[in-house]
Amino acid sequence: MEAEVVEAEIVLPTHLNFKRVQMYEKYPKGQARGRHWKHLKQIIQAENYQNYPPDEPNYVNIESPPPMHPCKRICDITGFEAPYFDPRTKLRYANAEVFKVIRSLPNDYVQRYLALRNAAVVLK
Amino acid sequence: MPFISKIERQTDYTQFDSTVPIVIDNGGSYFRIGWAGEDEPRVIFRNIVQRPRHKTTGETVTVVSDHNPALLRYFDCTRSGPRSAFDGNVVYQFEIMEYILDFGFDRLGADQSQIDHPVLITECACNPIQSRCRMAELLFESYGVPSIAFGVDAAFSYKYNQQLGICNSDGLAICSGFMTSHAIPFINGEPAYEACCRTNVGGYHVTDYLKQLLSLKYPHHISKLTWEKVEDLKMEHCYIAPDYTSEVRIFKKGAKEAEEKTRCWQLPWTPAPVEEQPSEEELARKAALKERQGQRLREMAEAKRSSRINELENDIRGLEFLLKQLKQVEENNVPAFLRETGYASKQEIESNLAKAIQSLRKAKGEQVETEEKMDASTADKYNLVNVPDDVLTPEQLKEKRKQLFLKSTTEARQRAKQKRIEEELEREKQMKLEEEKRLENPERYLEDLRAKYRELSEKVEQRKRLKTNGNNTNGNQNGSGGVGRGERLNAAQRERMRLLTTAAFDRGKGEDTFGIKDEDWQLYKLMSRDDDEEDEKSNEDEADLARVSSRLREIDPTFFPKAESGSSTAEPPRFRPLTKEDFQLILGVERFRCPEVLFQPNLIGIDQSGLDEMAGVSIRRLPCKNQGLEEKITKSILMTGGSCQYPGMAERLEAGIRMIRPCGTPITVVRASDPSLDAWRGASVYAAAMQFPNQTFSRTDYYEKGEDWLRRYQFNYTL
Repeated sequence: MEAEVVEAEIVLPTHLNFKRVQMYEKYPKGQARGRHWKHLKQIIQAENYQNYPPDEPNYVNIESPPPMHPCKRICDITGFEAPYFDPRTKLRYANAEVFKVIRSLPNDYVQRYLALRNAAVVLK
Repeated sequence: MPFISKIERQTDYTQFDSTVPIVIDNGGSYFRIGWAGEDEPRVIFRNIVQRPRHKTTGETVTVVSDHNPALLRYFDCTRSGPRSAFDGNVVYQFEIMEYILDFGFDRLGADQSQIDHPVLITECACNPIQSRCRMAELLFESYGVPSIAFGVDAAFSYKYNQQLGICNSDGLAICSGFMTSHAIPFINGEPAYEACCRTNVGGYHVTDYLKQLLSLKYPHHISKLTWEKVEDLKMEHCYIAPDYTSEVRIFKKGAKEAEEKTRCWQLPWTPAPVEEQPSEEELARKAALKERQGQRLREMAEAKRSSRINELENDIRGLEFLLKQLKQVEENNVPAFLRETGYASKQEIESNLAKAIQSLRKAKGEQVETEEKMDASTADKYNLVNVPDDVLTPEQLKEKRKQLFLKSTTEARQRAKQKRIEEELEREKQMKLEEEKRLENPERYLEDLRAKYRELSEKVEQRKRLKTNGNNTNGNQNGSGGVGRGERLNAAQRERMRLLTTAAFDRGKGEDTFGIKDEDWQLYKLMSRDDDEEDEKSNEDEADLARVSSRLREIDPTFFPKAESGSSTAEPPRFRPLTKEDFQLILGVERFRCPEVLFQPNLIGIDQSGLDEMAGVSIRRLPCKNQGLEEKITKSILMTGGSCQYPGMAERLEAGIRMIRPCGTPITVVRASDPSLDAWRGASVYAAAMQFPNQTFSRTDYYEKGEDWLRRYQFNYTL
């Protein structure tokens, strides 16, 4: 380990005095480290919130509902208001110049712009 | 404004009595740890972990929080990106959490056998029980903590500000964090979770949006747009417009106000060294040098040629001498003589001699007299051709056939040569015509040529674009695996896919009969990618284009061939020197478009309410509908959390809430005194109070009463 790295102490030491069980004992080397921690979706499923009265606040029922205001449509490229919609690329645009730009974009840029809006085509 | 991590190791751990609690604010972006009762947390760092491999030793180490990239160059960080223990605002990865806690305690100065202080740690609102249990287990088991308490960070912040007098005991806390934002109403100082409301947008989404927009706008500066840099940009330059539509209209008009509001980031740039026009002397010197080199080459060529001529002459003389000798020798001794000289027969010597004479003539630069030879030998070579068949013997017939064949081939060759000469003449004529046209009206000619160039280039580019649109994305995006992930397939690729799927389709019962018939294998020919679209027309167009562009280059000094890039956004056109402007990133509309996401999450596709609507939803969800209460709540709305520090947020929030509340309600929106640290401070004040131990639960409690009890664990915020 280089001197400056040791000095800067950026590496976490493997043995710490105040721990009762050290990390290397808990997660022995060689075992698949990708311990299958449950993701949030699985945690929520396992919680079984439907068994409990719906009045009680829990992680799921405090989520906010979809908005009441009408969705604001802005141009995907410039951010101006966008009354127009391109059926081929499915992007929203504000005026004719932006339209020209849109039609000259290669496909992966189009998909990235759509992905900003969560509207990209995802083939699984 | 940008955060600075504090990770110095503290040295006074032992001075704290074991009743002094440790307060931890476990946030999505930063982890803050310190002692109860103090004003500032001792240690603050980013809540991420990296596990890179050391380049030389190969061991995998753990690095918590972000560090100086200069130190990280000793490690191979390609496989290990920064990872967070959070999914949303819930801790789910407890291995990473353990690393982070290790680091936190270590920097706080802990070095004894176990952490012997009660711990107050924050969690999210309505944390799932499993996460809470695991956290408790982790702290009890691995660290030996005697007792724990969990609290919600937004609530601590509200209580702290309540003590400071900024907000009242009935109010609403709007807490905008890293991954989520909450709106929690407080009644009599206690949070009312039944009316709480959460939207899954936070600072992370704003930074990510800004990063994507800038990368798409300036793809050639993508290496400069790191996450940390974009966060800095966001904190410095982003603001919230009081009304998005009117603000955007200012920019659309391009008025002077828009100019003032645009910020420009100049990247470091050095101008390319300007090549000075070589002076007269330089030019003359260079020309002389070239002359000299040319002269040298010519001399060398001359020398070679003369030496070759000499050689050939020598050979010819030798051969002639040999022939003469042969004539003098008698019949019997001919084979012996020939054997000595190494030639098989007299004919060979003669043919060699003839070849040598011919090469000599060529070397000397005379016309090769093939024509004459042709004519001279046609007569005797084809002597048999015209003789009718029945007169000849079988041998002579064979001869005749050979001669016919020879004759036809030579005639064909002559015809081809003729055609070539004719074409040359044609081309010469064309060039002469063009020259005349140019000379008589140079400008119009130039115009015509330019116009022709333009349309040809457009046609070619369009065809190229259509052809390679699908292929480009295939090449760029997927190294592995075939078509997928949302690319548009052009007609050829669709056809290929169809063939592949029909060929591979398993018809279930029966065996696979593909390949039994020979025609089946023709499928592969159809699918072959190599001869894709041999469009003759496109080749013609391209050839025309090349000719026109070369012509233009000759005569027009201001003409530059258009860059051959398929997409104009891919790289800056290189035919003009890069200027200062190429290295500037302009932040105009993005300044207020990105934080707008907090108020309108459907700009990034999240279908939930924004901050202002959340307040309304929260008030609606209150269990007891009471006009007075609602007014009291709206009179004290507190903004807290790291992501509420945008300028202009308070006004926008107020305007938004006014829209949804009945007319005339008093609305006051205040910002917390220190939006990022208030949660920790509140927790610290709380933990220092006398009744704090009543709110904690110990290890024995946890193991006796179990998980269910933890579910009903409620934290009282008023003491």
